[in-house]
Order: sequence, then C-alpha cells, then structure tokens
Amino acid sequence: MTTTKTVPVAEGLFSETVDGPRLLGSRCASCGTPYFPRSAVCHNPECRESKMEEASFGPRGCLWSCAIQNYPPPAPARYEEPYIPYALGMVDMPEGLRVLGRISTDDPESIQVGAEVELVLERLYLDENGDEVITWKFKPI
Amino acid sequence: MREVAAVGLGMHPWGKFKDRSLTQMCREAVEAALKDAGVAWREIEAVAAASSRFSGGKGWGLNGNDIVEEMGSTGVPVYNLSAGCAAGGNAFNIGYTLVASGLHDVVLVVGGEKMPKGFIQTSGVEEETDPEYLRQRCVGMPGPAFWAMLCRRRMQEHGTTEEQLARIAVKSHKVAKHNPNARFRKEFTLEEVLGSAMVSYPLRLFEICPVSDGAAAVVLCSAEQARRRTSNPVWVAASTVATARFDDGITRGLGGMVPPSGKTYHSEAALAVSKAFEQAGVGPADLDLVELQDNTVYYELAFPEEWGLCEPGEAERLLEEGETLPTGRLPINPSGGFLSFGEATTAMGVFQVCELGWQMRDQSGPRQVPGAKLALAQTLGLGGNGTAVIVKR
Repeated sequence: MTTTKTVPVAEGLFSETVDGPRLLGSRCASCGTPYFPRSAVCHNPECRESKMEEASFGPRGCLWSCAIQNYPPPAPARYEEPYIPYALGMVDMPEGLRVLGRISTDDPESIQVGAEVELVLERLYLDENGDEVITWKFKPI
Repeated sequence: MREVAAVGLGMHPWGKFKDRSLTQMCREAVEAALKDAGVAWREIEAVAAASSRFSGGKGWGLNGNDIVEEMGSTGVPVYNLSAGCAAGGNAFNIGYTLVASGLHDVVLVVGGEKMPKGFIQTSGVEEETDPEYLRQRCVGMPGPAFWAMLCRRRMQEHGTTEEQLARIAVKSHKVAKHNPNARFRKEFTLEEVLGSAMVSYPLRLFEICPVSDGAAAVVLCSAEQARRRTSNPVWVAASTVATARFDDGITRGLGGMVPPSGKTYHSEAALAVSKAFEQAGVGPADLDLVELQDNTVYYELAFPEEWGLCEPGEAERLLEEGETLPTGRLPINPSGGFLSFGEATTAMGVFQVCELGWQMRDQSGPRQVPGAKLALAQTLGLGGNGTAVIVKR
C-alpha cells in the first residue's frame, strides 16, 4: 500500500503557517497595492516608486460574488470522475486583495453573495500517481 | 483629422460552414462591400484586418495577407491587428485612422473567422507565470463561470431575476428572426430559454453566445470620395480604442486590488465608449441604438449602466417595458447580437459596423430602428482591449 502524498497545484502560491493557511503574495510599500501571485515590481501607474515586499493574505474574507461550474471545465482545469459541480467565487480580503478561488462546500447552491469565508487548503483532485493535488479554497464560516 | 465615411458594407452569413473555407467566406464579404461601395479591388489603398488565432493567417494572424493574396496582390500595405475579441474593432480603428489622417483615401477593413467547436479554450500556454493558466489550473473558472459570477453580483445588487435574464435571450431571438445573416433565426419562448441546460448558475445555455464562423468587411473613404460615390454615406463620428485601467474592479488574473472607490468594471469598454462620445461631440441621450458585445445576456444589463445610457438598476425595467426592442427608447442589439449570431470572435467589430451602417441607411427591414440617425457599437477583448464606434447618417 502506498501512502498518499500531497502536492501543491502550483508552487509558491500558498502555505500552511503556524497561524493557519495563507496566500503568498507581495505588497508595494510605497503605494500599498497588494499582489497575488507575487510581483517583482509594482504595476500601479500612480505609484511613484516600486518598493515590493513579501506579503501573506488570510485567513478571512467576504464573498464578493460566486457562481457554480455546472459542467466539467476544459483543460488545463482538472477534476475527478464522476464530475460533481462546484462553487467558485471572488473574495474580498481585509488586506485589500480581491482574489478568485474555489468554495469549499458540499452544497454549491447554498452559497450566498456576501458570505463570510475563511481560507482552507484542500484537495483539488487525485492525480495519476495517487497524490492529492492541493489548492486554496474559501470555506463559509 | 478628416471626415471618414463607410461607403461599402458586406457580410457573409454567420453559422457553421463545414464545407466553406475562411478565404471563401472573407472573399464573399469583401466582394459584397466593394460592390456596395462601387469600388474596384485595385482602388483599395490599404487593408486593416483582424488577426485570428483560430483560423487562417498562416498561423501568425496574417489574415489580412490571406485576403490580399486571394483578391489579387496589388502591393497594398496590410495591417493585421490582434486584440482578442476586440480585434475587429481595433482593425476598424486603424482603417479609420488611415483615412482620417489623410494618409489614404480608400481603405478596406475586414474580419473573418472560423471557430473550433465548443467553448473558447485558453491559450495553451502551460506556464505558472501565465495568469490565465493559473486561473484555470488552480480554480477552474472558464469564461461562462466568470460571467456567471458577475451576473450573480448584479442579482444581489439589483434583484435581477433568472426570468429577466431569460427575457433578454427571448428578445434577441425575436429580432434575429428578421436578420438574414443571423445563425439562429428561430424565436424561443421564455420557458424554452429557462428550460435550456444550466451552464454556470445563474447562466443557461441559451443565455450565452456560442462560437460561429463569419466574415464582414467595410470600405472606408474620405468625404470627398464618399460624396462622389454615394448619396447615403454612413459617417464615422468616432472610432476609439482603450485598454483596462489598473484600478478596474474585475481582476483578470488570480487576484487584484479591491477597487478603492465605486465600481469600475470593464474599464476598457467604458473608456472606449466615453472617448467615443467625446470625439463625436454627443452624449448617451443622443443615441438611437446600440450594438454591444453580449457574450452573455448579463452584458445587456450591465453595459448600458456602466456607460451612462441608463441609471443603475434601470436596465431590467427598460427590458421588461420593451424599451430595448428596435421600437423602444433604447434599442439594444437590433441585429440579434452575439447571442443570435454566435461569436466569430475577431470578426465581430466589423459585423457591428455593418449592422449600424444598414440601420443608418434604413436598410434593416423589420429590425429597423425607426428614424435611426446615431448609433454606437462596442467590443471587448482578452488582454483588456476595448473599442467603440459611433456612426451617424
């Protein structure tokens, strides 16, 4: 019997910290603009001088809006068979970041705009090696 | 800048044409536009064409070169313009600029495309530095889910109902029935639209535009040439291009900033439209009709408000009172729109100008907006590209 490994869906986007899961990005110290994923420079045309610092975001946010993916998404999205529709949305985080993400729920139709959510790191799908591929999701509180 | 007129309008019908090549379709549209203008191919001084990543163009988006080779290589300058779904609008702007600047007197603008089946796929770039790749890979959010999310927000803010969304599709097909170039010319009942498959809640299959094959062409010329060639030129009052602003409230990648003030969604489209009003010296109240990019019914509600054509939250009422029909106060997409044509992505900006032109000439048959004198068209494309055109008779 093999043990299930967990692998992130992409490198450097999130991590489990002592305080819980966080999204990893950056922030410009001069104009305050948050970036996710990380950005090497500030792209704000109003910013006088790019001063990028590492920043992490989470765990709380508010669901700006949401939708249900009723049909299996085309590649490069991946999913497990049999396909089960999932909820996704855009979340406003108090750090000033508006970010996309899956919503962690067994009942996509119950999700409401304006819901308070928290960041979780969960399985996106099981890959061909039997490894759990992990992504960030938002779970209604 | 000089005055510019559209004197030739030509369109190949929209649909799925397995047995026709893109070249054949473009040739048909170009020949129709030339004939309409009374211009010979040899008289065309420059070509501005929309670049496609899906068909023709030798795999490099050289769609204008394909057309020149097909029509006869006269040595004319060719400009191939790439701007995602805004490419047709972008090509039109370059054609317009070439004439307005005085560089050329007679210019051809063309857009034609044959689309692969199914929903539009992502770029195929599989790199973690590509924001679109990350969005699909990490979240799994295709275009329709993105539109659905915007629509859901509107439902929350304005109480928009699923029935109202369906009514927009019913309206589009009701007018498209009269358009010989439309792909879907059958009326649907509210029940049929509401009974179509849920693609991404709250949006259903009949509320989202499919992909199509299509081609359209426009001959533009100077005022002097126009007066010599036709008694009913369509004047181009404005042609503008814009890109999205940094503070846009809709993140195009995985994340962006919460916009600091108010709602600025689709800033590329709003900017192009506001610049067009300024260039034409007109305002929203002067418009007789609008052709806007309805990839989904949601945009028929959102765009008019974002451009100041109606008050926030008013779009649903205008719809229900029939004011967005060709006979209403604010006719929207009397062509039948993308919903009834399907999207031949890079041809749409040119298709819209043909539709506006026929309206200005009173040639739109049962879908004619009575007495139409001033009209607006708009496109929106990947990469934050927006274009707008205002024509007048």
